[in-house]
Amino acid sequence: MRTVLKGNGAVAQAVRMARTQVICAYPITPQTSIVEELAAMVSSGQLNSRFIKVESEHSSMAGCIGAASTGARTFTATSSQGLALMHEMLHWAAGARLPIVMVNVNRGLGPGWSLWADQSDSVAQRDTGWMQIYCQSCQEVFDTVIQAFEVSQRVLLPSMVMLDGFFLSHTYEDMDLPEPGLIDGFLHPLCVPHKIDIEKPATLGSMVAPDRYMEFRKKIDLAHQQALGVWTEVDNQWSALTGRSYGLLDEYRMQDAELVLVATATPASTARVVVDDLRERAIPAGLLRLRVFRPFPAAALCNALGNRKKVVVLDRSCSYGHHGAFHQEIKSALYELPASAHPEVRGIIAGLGGRDITAEDLEEMLLRAWQNKLSETVTWWNTLPEAVVR
Amino acid sequence: MVELEPKVLEEVPGTSYSDHPTLPMRTGTWKYLQPRYEDKLPPCSNACPAGNDISKILALLSSGDLEGAVQWLRAGNPFPATLGRVCAHFCERSCNRDSLGGALAIHGLERFLGDHSPQESSVVQSATGRTVGVVGAGPAGITSAYLLARAGHEVHVFDDKPQAGGFLRTGIPGFRLPKDILDKELALVETAGVHFHQNTRVGRDIDFEELQNRFDAVIVAAGFHASRPLNVPGSGQTHVYHGIDLLERLAAGEKLRIPGTVAVLGGGNTAIDVARSLLRIGSTPVIVYRRTEVEMPAISAEIEEAKAEGVAFHFLAAPSRIVQDGDRIVALECQKMRLGEPDASGRRAPVPLFGSEFCLPVSAVVAAIGEIADLGFLPDNLRNDWLRGQKMFKEDFRGVFLAGDVATSRGTVAAAVGSGRQVAAAVDRYLRGEQPLIENPVLTSLWPRALNYDQMAEAESLNPAYFVPKVRCQVHGSSQKTSVKWAVGEARRCLGCGTCNNCLNCYHWCPDVAIQIASAGSALGIDLEHCKGCGICVEECPRGAMSMVEVG
Repeated sequence: MRTVLKGNGAVAQAVRMARTQVICAYPITPQTSIVEELAAMVSSGQLNSRFIKVESEHSSMAGCIGAASTGARTFTATSSQGLALMHEMLHWAAGARLPIVMVNVNRGLGPGWSLWADQSDSVAQRDTGWMQIYCQSCQEVFDTVIQAFEVSQRVLLPSMVMLDGFFLSHTYEDMDLPEPGLIDGFLHPLCVPHKIDIEKPATLGSMVAPDRYMEFRKKIDLAHQQALGVWTEVDNQWSALTGRSYGLLDEYRMQDAELVLVATATPASTARVVVDDLRERAIPAGLLRLRVFRPFPAAALCNALGNRKKVVVLDRSCSYGHHGAFHQEIKSALYELPASAHPEVRGIIAGLGGRDITAEDLEEMLLRAWQNKLSETVTWWNTLPEAVVR
Repeated sequence: MVELEPKVLEEVPGTSYSDHPTLPMRTGTWKYLQPRYEDKLPPCSNACPAGNDISKILALLSSGDLEGAVQWLRAGNPFPATLGRVCAHFCERSCNRDSLGGALAIHGLERFLGDHSPQESSVVQSATGRTVGVVGAGPAGITSAYLLARAGHEVHVFDDKPQAGGFLRTGIPGFRLPKDILDKELALVETAGVHFHQNTRVGRDIDFEELQNRFDAVIVAAGFHASRPLNVPGSGQTHVYHGIDLLERLAAGEKLRIPGTVAVLGGGNTAIDVARSLLRIGSTPVIVYRRTEVEMPAISAEIEEAKAEGVAFHFLAAPSRIVQDGDRIVALECQKMRLGEPDASGRRAPVPLFGSEFCLPVSAVVAAIGEIADLGFLPDNLRNDWLRGQKMFKEDFRGVFLAGDVATSRGTVAAAVGSGRQVAAAVDRYLRGEQPLIENPVLTSLWPRALNYDQMAEAESLNPAYFVPKVRCQVHGSSQKTSVKWAVGEARRCLGCGTCNNCLNCYHWCPDVAIQIASAGSALGIDLEHCKGCGICVEECPRGAMSMVEVG
């Protein structure tokens, strides 16, 4: 069914059609309308789910952990400070191997207060064991939430699906909403093998001695390796059903590209126009959109970026003191290639706190890279000259 | 820790779980405080002058073990049927059940258990060959005699009255304590092996020194049997009676008639008993007391019952003269009083109002202004010790012990029984060559309201009418209808304050699974290697049966 939805609306529809059993969430701008729409669905009976109201995001994730531990399909959504407050529970959800799906609407962290798009919140949760998928359209948001439920329950890892605050969460787009039967046929029944069994009382997440702790942790790492294949498999199955697939990496005019922009989320969508434009001016530009950041598709990245001349990595966050996280990780992945295959890699930090990343910005970034004018390893894009900053 | 011992990574489960304590982490090393199971003296027993082990008795009864409950009650107290009628039940006033459906009817349960004759005769230990003489066959003397006989000592009781019982027989009217009830309890005391020598007054029929020579230990439990004299003009008149003499004559069956209005002077239990007895022989009693009802030493329930029966009260009046016309009394002249500052007893003292004299038209006067001891039979040195307020005689007179009112001046049957009980324990230790200390209870007492009320469910009293004074008047006799079903149900309302009853709250709350259950119903243990001393078990114990103590 063709319809027009904003990103947050697409999330709510996906959660409804996945027949999510427990929703435990706390509202925060710009995620709020997700929670509002879901609450209305539960209240009106459209969605047969338990909506648990809580007093904070720490509790919302704790509630999700409890619900998922009973084997229920569980969802929450948050943003920014809310995600930061969840941090302790994020480790717990992944360590307990619970297939919780969460949408994080990317927003900057204070101080100074910012309500606008910025990936610092989710990038800061990179090492919690959660899978992270960055979306660029409303359609992709819907499809990814459904896919995340399926991948999560197959590999027993929680998923975090990212939307850029306002740029995607509050932008309406034309999209296809599948018939409910399609989702029911796609998602397997949820099975959590270690769910709570009242016949066998036990402490979940109990103390583990040094002689065994590492094995549990290694299994999380192995599950991430396995998840790379599962994401591809589930994406292919989704494609067979709907004709839509996204891949771990989304390539655009990469065939013979010598100058590659690596971007995530909505700026990647803008970048297509820029790439087309540069191609018309005989500059061999290409776009590589990093969609799945965790599990990290290192081999696919090497494959896609090895032997290119120049690579520009766009980060909407900064690991203060050393690059943006995407830049760091891509460069480190490429080190596995022989030195002769190493492209020149430059990092751009842009768009923090909701500052727009326009087509003109992207074009200038690529042109400067192509003309060897990006002298610094990392460039803070379009900030005031240093002498003026006080 | 997971049960299986994985050999390969695939055998490691998805996440950690445990049905054991946190074995790898000896969290016990963290603690500087640790819990322990420690039964406490419940508030009822703490308040019980007779020292009844109430919570254990009720635990036995609630489990349906009627026989066990009776045995355990009688193991420390020969007068449950008696006390079940005459005691002021101090226990019920401190009952923690009070705010959860009403205090337990402990008094009624004691009467119920007391009326249930034990099937076995008293358990008497093998003879020790030691002998004890007891002066006085009142509640204190008999209690100590009974307990010492059960402990295997040979006990002889000497008493000047024709029948044993002391004040229970002569001082408490039959409508409060039917004498067949007393006789049954005394029969059980005799069965336990106590030898009674009635009509034998020490100092007249047998010398105290002879008792000292004949017995390894002597207990003086002579009670307060002399009336405090009334010192007002006219008090030598024939129609002036002394309270305990009057009660004794009535108890002995004398057909006494005192027509008209009778002034009863005093505010204690004797005054109340006299007034109520006078009602029953057709007199019109009026109690004259120099303070107010608040300051009356009498048991408040007895005051209520006296009022309910129609006894009149005249407060803030003290007798100043008995007005006579020939050999008749025509009036009692009184002086009005007001309440002043508290005196040594803590009660506000009466202060005379000069010129306030008035006359109460009465035809007789009963003085019930207090009783005192008559210890003229004691050797001078012992009597001097006693006069100096020593509860125990000095070292060179070891072997002589005081029990009951002469030791405590507390004036209730329950206190007499409790005193007899303490002294029996001391004498038993003395006869076994140990220190004969009068000891306080070993257990820490649990303050009333110290329970974890969040854990308690409300339960209505099964017999609410029990607490209404008028109904209690009617049920005081021996014909009270009580059933085993009622008693067991009432006993089940007992919260078991201070006594672990294996409710397993500690087990369920312990975050370290450190509470050990050896087998169902057995005493609980604490795995101190893993108990980190958080104290949650102590906090959550519904009945205060756990304590935190410092480690080491």
